Amino acid sequence: MRGYLVFLKKEIFEYTKTYKLLIMLVVFAIFGITNPLIAKLLPEILESLATDGVIITLPDPTAYDAWEQFFKNATQMGLIVTVIIFSGVLSSELSKGTLINLLTKGLSRTAVILSKYTCMVLVWTASIALCFGLTYGYTVYLFPKDETSNLLFSVFCLWLFGLFLLAVLIFSATLTKSNYGCLLITFVAVVACMIMDIIPAMHRYNPISLATDNMGLIMNSIEVSSLYSAILISCLLSLIFVSLSVTIFRRKQL
Amino acid sequence: MDLSMLKEYLPFLIPLVILQFALSITALIHVLRHPHYRFGNKVMWVLVVMFIHFVGPILYFALGKGED
Repeated sequence: MRGYLVFLKKEIFEYTKTYKLLIMLVVFAIFGITNPLIAKLLPEILESLATDGVIITLPDPTAYDAWEQFFKNATQMGLIVTVIIFSGVLSSELSKGTLINLLTKGLSRTAVILSKYTCMVLVWTASIALCFGLTYGYTVYLFPKDETSNLLFSVFCLWLFGLFLLAVLIFSATLTKSNYGCLLITFVAVVACMIMDIIPAMHRYNPISLATDNMGLIMNSIEVSSLYSAILISCLLSLIFVSLSVTIFRRKQL
Repeated sequence: MDLSMLKEYLPFLIPLVILQFALSITALIHVLRHPHYRFGNKVMWVLVVMFIHFVGPILYFALGKGED
């Protein structure tokens, strides 16, 4: 337990020192500010593009457009940036050999994996919370009359999908030696989820529906209860992946 | 874009400008203090972090920064 806390502190220090925390926060802050802005300005941008003879009529932007931008950016660019930033979570320390010293001094390997996962989760939580807070504030400022439903639940689903993705990431980091291998396995896992999503019966149980059904939740076209099984499956899979990576890392030849 | 419109979007522009400047300046300081890069040279990175907004400093920290 003590090793876990010490290593967690070291991880957080490392993320600030290598500017990874800064990059994550800034990227998500930029998304947070620009989401409502783009929703508001998109009709005007299209209008200015229209040459004479072509008339583009768009309905007035609403809060839904801002949230659509939010979920589009956070699930695509946001998650891609997160995965790329964290892809070297194990490989950088293994290749530099700095981890060996700590492990021979008695730090348990379980503590290493668990504190690394916790730290990734903390950074992801802070980033998505910042992005959500900024988008929420500006959306209320720009579209004060619009009401949305299930907003917090929808963002919670996205956050949970991030947790699942990070669990897959740390699992693949224990399997491979380089960060490219780690990226590749995570990418394959997401593609596998997407392919399974083609089968309609699987959609209820597929973790990826946590990241694709968000707009439906806000528009009230998808029921909250339809996602319960996906939430359960994601939590279970995250737990399995983290414990698997602990087991593999304990047996791994460094 | 007229002045009234600019005023309307000022609450968006100010934080974005602050973010951009904070990023560029931290990246610029880092470029000047640590003259080892994975590729490229000092002049190139200074230009990248100063003139490519948002993407430049992030590219530098993610790809260009050498190991200490």
